[in-house]
Amino acid sequence: MLKLENYQEIINKCSHCSYCQATCPVYLEDLLESHVARNRLNLINQVLILRTMPVSQRFREILDRCLLCTNCTQTCSSKVPVDEIIIAARAEVGKGTLGGLKGFVMSKMLKQRGLTGLMSKAGSLAQKIGVAREMPQLASKSFDQIYSGTIPAQGEQRGRVAYFVGCGTNFLYPDTGVAVVEVLTRNGWEVVIPDGQVCCGIPVIAEGDLAAAREMVTANLKVFDLDSVEAVITDCTSCGMMMKEKFSKLLDADDPLQEKAQALAGKIFEVTDFLQQKGLSETPPALDKTFTYHVPCHRGWSPTVADAPRNLLGSLPGAELRELEEPERCCGAAGTFFMQQRELSESIRSHRLEQIEASQADTVITQCPVCRFYLSAGLTSQQVTHPVILLAQAYGTVQP
Amino acid sequence: MNGLVKDLTGLIGESKVLFQPEDLLAYANDATHYFRTQPPDAVVLPTSTEEISRVLSYAYEHYIPVTPRGAGSGLSGGATPVKGGIVVDTKRMNRIVEIDRANMTATVEGGVVLQNFHRAVEKTGLFYPPDPQSMSVCTMGANVATRAGGPRGVKYGTTGNYVTGLEVVLPDGSVIKTGGKFVKQSVGYDLTRLMTGSEGTLGIITKVHVRLLTLPPETRTMVVVCESLDQAAEIVSEIIARGAVPSMMEFMIKLAVTVMNTFVFPPLPTDGEAYLLMEIDGTAAQVEHDAETIKAICRDMKAREIREVEDERVARVYWKARSAMYPFIMTIFKRAITEDITVPRSRIPDLVRAIQEIAASVGIMIGLAGHAGDGNMHPTVLQSEINEEIAAKAKQAIDMLVRRGLELGGTISGEHGIGIHKQEYLDWELDQVQIDLMKRIKAAFDPRGIMNPGKIWVEGGQQ
Repeated sequence: MLKLENYQEIINKCSHCSYCQATCPVYLEDLLESHVARNRLNLINQVLILRTMPVSQRFREILDRCLLCTNCTQTCSSKVPVDEIIIAARAEVGKGTLGGLKGFVMSKMLKQRGLTGLMSKAGSLAQKIGVAREMPQLASKSFDQIYSGTIPAQGEQRGRVAYFVGCGTNFLYPDTGVAVVEVLTRNGWEVVIPDGQVCCGIPVIAEGDLAAAREMVTANLKVFDLDSVEAVITDCTSCGMMMKEKFSKLLDADDPLQEKAQALAGKIFEVTDFLQQKGLSETPPALDKTFTYHVPCHRGWSPTVADAPRNLLGSLPGAELRELEEPERCCGAAGTFFMQQRELSESIRSHRLEQIEASQADTVITQCPVCRFYLSAGLTSQQVTHPVILLAQAYGTVQP
Repeated sequence: MNGLVKDLTGLIGESKVLFQPEDLLAYANDATHYFRTQPPDAVVLPTSTEEISRVLSYAYEHYIPVTPRGAGSGLSGGATPVKGGIVVDTKRMNRIVEIDRANMTATVEGGVVLQNFHRAVEKTGLFYPPDPQSMSVCTMGANVATRAGGPRGVKYGTTGNYVTGLEVVLPDGSVIKTGGKFVKQSVGYDLTRLMTGSEGTLGIITKVHVRLLTLPPETRTMVVVCESLDQAAEIVSEIIARGAVPSMMEFMIKLAVTVMNTFVFPPLPTDGEAYLLMEIDGTAAQVEHDAETIKAICRDMKAREIREVEDERVARVYWKARSAMYPFIMTIFKRAITEDITVPRSRIPDLVRAIQEIAASVGIMIGLAGHAGDGNMHPTVLQSEINEEIAAKAKQAIDMLVRRGLELGGTISGEHGIGIHKQEYLDWELDQVQIDLMKRIKAAFDPRGIMNPGKIWVEGGQQ
C-alpha cells in the first residue's frame, strides 16, 4: 500500500540538489521554494514522520498545490517517487473518504459504467453551482455504447490485444476509442474489450482515497484475461502509468491479485507506443496536417511513449510536425486539479497556449484526455486531438 | 504577525513576505542540508532593486541578519541562514534586460536562471560559457557571488572571467553600479572583481553585465577509457601541453561511470579504471584537427579505448548525466560530501594518488570525478550510514584531502566557495595578514555585520 511509513527511507534519498526546481510547473509559477519537491518532502518528513511540526492549514495547502505531474521525479537523479509520497501524505491527513458532489462522482460513478446520463446531470449541476467554469461536456454517446466485446482483425490476424478504455475516452472522447479500434484492427490486431472495466483509480488516489482506489484496481484486474492477449492497450498515459507503476503498490503485498497486477504491468502499452514497437502492417498514404505535440506529463512509465506519435506521424507524406519550444511542459490540467486551483492552472496553461500559438500548427496532439480538454478550452482556432485519431484519418478510416 | 513581518509587509507588500513555519523551513537549507542552521524569521521575495534596497536599509537600521539566496543549489552552505533574520530570495528578479549583439554583452537581473540565459543567448548565435553543473536551476547573481564554474573552465574560465559590471545593494541599502558594458576600465579599485566571490557578505547582486563570445559552430564528444587513474591523469596533462584544449574534459573513476550507466543509454564502457569524457568545440576544421591530435596522444599513451560519440543526442545524454553526478551518487549512499580542491594541472596525477591513499588509510570510500582539465577535482566522501563514527572518518578524510591539496600548491575551493563548509580551512590557505585585510574590507562595506553572518570565516569574523 502507498503508506507513508514505507517511504521513510526513500525520502532521505533526496539530496536536496534542487534540480526539481527546473521542471515543477507549480514552482515555476510562483518561484516559492516551499512549493517544490525537495521542500515538500522535507516538510512531510518533519510533519508526518518526525512529528516536529503540526498538521497546519498551510501544510495542507502545500500538499494540495501539487499536480502529481511527476516532472520532479522524472528530473530527479535519485528517482524519489514524489507523487507517491504526496499521495501517501494526503491519505494520512485526509483520513476518510470524500463527501459532497465530488465524493459522489469519485466514489460511485467512476466505479460503474453505464451511468452516463447521471454523470452528465452531475456535470451540469457542477457548472450551475460554480464548482468549475470550464467543465468537460460529456459525449452524447459513450464509447461503451459504440463498441463492446471482441472486434476481429481486418485481414490477416497478427495477434490479440485487450483494450482498457479509460474514463476520458469512454465519457468525453469516444472518438479516440473508435480510432484505437479502427487502427489496431486494421493493423491485424484482434481487439478484446473486457466487460466490467472501471476507472483506473487515478482521480481517487489524487485525493488520497486509497481504499476506493484499491476497489477499482481489484475490479479492473478481475476482468482481464491476461494469458489470452499479447498486450493490454490504453490510449491514456495516466491510465497507463497507473497500471504500469501503481496497481501493484495499491494492493497489499500478500494480496492474491498481486501477481496479476505485476503481469498487467508487463503487458500495458499506450496505443501509439504499441504500434510503433510492433510496426504498422501498412504505412498510411498521407496526412495533410501541420501539427504540434504536447507530451503528457505521465510519460515516465515508458521510455518510448513520447517518441511514438512523432515517429508514426512525423514522417508521413504531407505531415509536418512543429515541435513546441518545451515539448514536455505541463498544461496545468492534472485530472481535477484545474477545477480546484483554477487560477494556478490557468496561469500554468497560459505559457503552454503561447507556445502552441508560436508553433503555428493547426492541430495539437496529446495522449491525455484531460490535457486535450483543458488545452481545447484555452485555444480558439487550433484543434486538439489524440495522435491515434490522426493516424486513423491518415488511413482514411475516420474523416477529419 | 510579528513586528518584523508587519514592517516588511509595509515595505514591499504582503504577497512578497513569507513567515509561516512551513515556508521558513524551505529556506533554512541549501543543497547542503547537514549543517546546523537557524531558520529565518522571515523570507522576502522582492521583484526590484528598489525593494531590496528598502529591505536592507531596514535590516541595517535594526541590526537584523540578512542572507541572500538564489536557487539554494550551493554546496558550501553559503545560502543558509545561521543566525535567523531575513532571507532575501532573489529568484523573482529574473528578467534578461538585454542581449546586445553589436557589443557582444548581456545584462541580466540577479535571479535569472543560468540555463534560461544560455538558451536566450544561443538563439542569437552567441555563447556564454560558464556552466556550473546546477545550471538548470542556479541563478546568475549567485554565480557571481560564488565565482561559480564548471567543466568548460578548462578552455573558457569561470563566471569571474565574464563579468564586466554589477549593480549591488550595499548593506545599508545604498545602490552602487560597478563597471558596465565596456570590456575594459581603469578607474579606481575594481569593485566588480571584489564582489565576485563575495558570497553575499558584502551586498546583494541585483544586476550583472557579462561579455559574450560567438557560439562555436561544431562540437564533438569523445570518451577515453584508461587502464589506470595515473594514466588518465597523465593523458590530461599531455593533451593540454600539446595545445588541443577541449571545451570540457571530465575525469571519472569506474564507480562514477557505473552509477551514470544506470541512467544513460547506450551505456558507457566500464572495462577501465578511469575515464575521460571530453568535448571539443570550434569550426569543423578545428574540431577535426583537435580530435586527431587527442586520438594520437591517447593511442601513443596506450589508452584502452577511444570512442567518438557520433550521435549528438547521445552526447547530450552523457553530459546531462555528468551534470547530475552529485545527486546520482545519492541513489547509492546516504550522504555524499563533495569537495572542490583545485591544484595546478600538472599535479593531478599526484592528487589522484593522494586521494586513493587517503581513502585507504582512513577506511572510507571516496568517489572521484572532476574537471581534470583545469585541475579542479571533486573527491566525494561517501557515507553508507549516518553515524558518529563514519562522520568522524569523513571529517578526517576531508581534512587530509584539503591538507594534501594545499601541499600540492592548490586551493581549498575551485568553484563552490567557502560558506560554512570550508571556513575552518580558510587559515590553512590564507595567512593572517590577508584574512585580517579581508575582515577590514568586510567592515568597510558592512560595519554592522548584517550581511550573511557566520560565513567565510569562523565566528567573530564579521566584526
